[in-house]
Amino acid sequence: MKFSLDAIDRRFVYLLILIALVVPLALEVHLTPAPMKSAKKFFDIIEQVKPEKGKFVLLVFDFGPNSKAENFPQSEVVVEHLLRRRIPFAIYSQYLQAEPLLESIPAGVAARLSKEKPAESWEYGKDWVNLGFRVGGALFIQGLVRSERMAEVLKKDARGNDITSLPLFDGVTSIKSISVLAQFSSLTGTLETILQFFQSSEYRPPLLHGCTSITIPAAYVFMNSGQMSGLLEGVAGAASYSALLYGEYPGREPDRSTLMMTGLGVAHLVVIALVLLGNLAAWLSSRRKV
Amino acid sequence: MTALSTWTILNILVGGIATLAIFSFLIKENSFYRFFEHLYIGIAAGFGIILPIKNFLWPKILEPMMGMDIVQFPDGTYSQEYNPLLLLYVAPILFGLLFYTIYSTRFSWMAKLVIGLLLGASGGMAFEGFFNYVIPQLEGSFKPLIVFDGASIDLMQSFNNALFVFTLLSVMYYFFFSFQLTPGKKISRVLVGVSASGRWLMMVCFGAYFGSTVMARMALLVERLQFLLTDWSAAIYAAAAQLGAHLGVA
Repeated sequence: MKFSLDAIDRRFVYLLILIALVVPLALEVHLTPAPMKSAKKFFDIIEQVKPEKGKFVLLVFDFGPNSKAENFPQSEVVVEHLLRRRIPFAIYSQYLQAEPLLESIPAGVAARLSKEKPAESWEYGKDWVNLGFRVGGALFIQGLVRSERMAEVLKKDARGNDITSLPLFDGVTSIKSISVLAQFSSLTGTLETILQFFQSSEYRPPLLHGCTSITIPAAYVFMNSGQMSGLLEGVAGAASYSALLYGEYPGREPDRSTLMMTGLGVAHLVVIALVLLGNLAAWLSSRRKV
Repeated sequence: MTALSTWTILNILVGGIATLAIFSFLIKENSFYRFFEHLYIGIAAGFGIILPIKNFLWPKILEPMMGMDIVQFPDGTYSQEYNPLLLLYVAPILFGLLFYTIYSTRFSWMAKLVIGLLLGASGGMAFEGFFNYVIPQLEGSFKPLIVFDGASIDLMQSFNNALFVFTLLSVMYYFFFSFQLTPGKKISRVLVGVSASGRWLMMVCFGAYFGSTVMARMALLVERLQFLLTDWSAAIYAAAAQLGAHLGVA
């Protein structure tokens, strides 16, 4: 059978990509990710937050299985950063498929940190609170930002505890108690809801965002306008953030983001090579026709 | 490695099989793939119904309305008094249920009342949201073409701003002020060039979108591969060990 560049079976391309991804993963190669300005801005804002009574960081996990690959490592590194710095945070979601992750991500990171530092412990209710999936989207946000007593709007956490009984909410009053707002999502609609409504006439918490690769160009619009103060761009953003965490806490265990990024880097090289090869094949074929 | 419970092992094993089933589509369309595709859609749809009931309707509306969140202590006292005003929740619930009259020819006009209210409320909210969303972007578009860094000029930032402003104007010109190039009608070459630049710059943007889409798809794949290589293979090993122990094989 005669081999032709412009008639390569697509399954051969899939196989090449598979090999490119599997080899770094199987060999557990962790290459240092490239530093990213937007991730550094995200990191710096979390670094500037001081653990204060009556203040907390609000995380919004608006992602489910469809974008877990990118949003999960991002949320993991940010949760880790907050837990290490003992900055209390609450998590909620506007997206119902995120519900199981609201519980598993902070619990998993806290368990990992407890293993790393056996003398320290992180407690639910004091270090973090899961507010669960909240229906209503914009209506819920409007109720929250207009309230002078946030606990009255939130009422209970996802575990059924009264919000007022949780130490994290001691001294928490209005939207001004939210020092930073960070949202992780592949859904531009949920980000737009936050951009449109998460502000009162007097205060708008700095907004940080973790997006998937597809929505990077759209997210940059908000970075440019100053509506967003920091951005994690897909797995690359998570890996860059992870590298910054290594700088700050050298003893930490490697996480999945740098491994994923190494695999992705190799696969991107293969894709670039295939694009060049495809163009070469098209050029050769057009020359033959002439 | 920590010992996995049988339930966790089963969960991971099914997850791995589902992943392979979905990827089998890459070879060709098959019933194995079709089954798991339907399963995923079914689960997602089920979540959509159950979670709002479990997280909102039951604990926040129905339970307090029926006084089911009031606990009686052993001394006969109650955790809280029943608030009869909660029965007012019935009114919006009944009003919302009018949505379903759309299935009746005779009563479908009632659904229009709910739809009208929703449209009005959404319109009002969109009006508020629009300003919060768009005005900062308009403000952000006004950039200085020459940026000073102390006494000197920041050439890179100045170039970036100039490129931004040129892109903004040329793309806007392409959409809003383009004129048909009809024979005999003279159109400035500069304007034609600006319009063409707008198109080309949009092409660059679409290229960036396409590239990032490929990147995102690959990220999904790498996460699944990582799952198969670590979690799934560990679960297979654990399942084999548990089965061996059960059968008394060393």
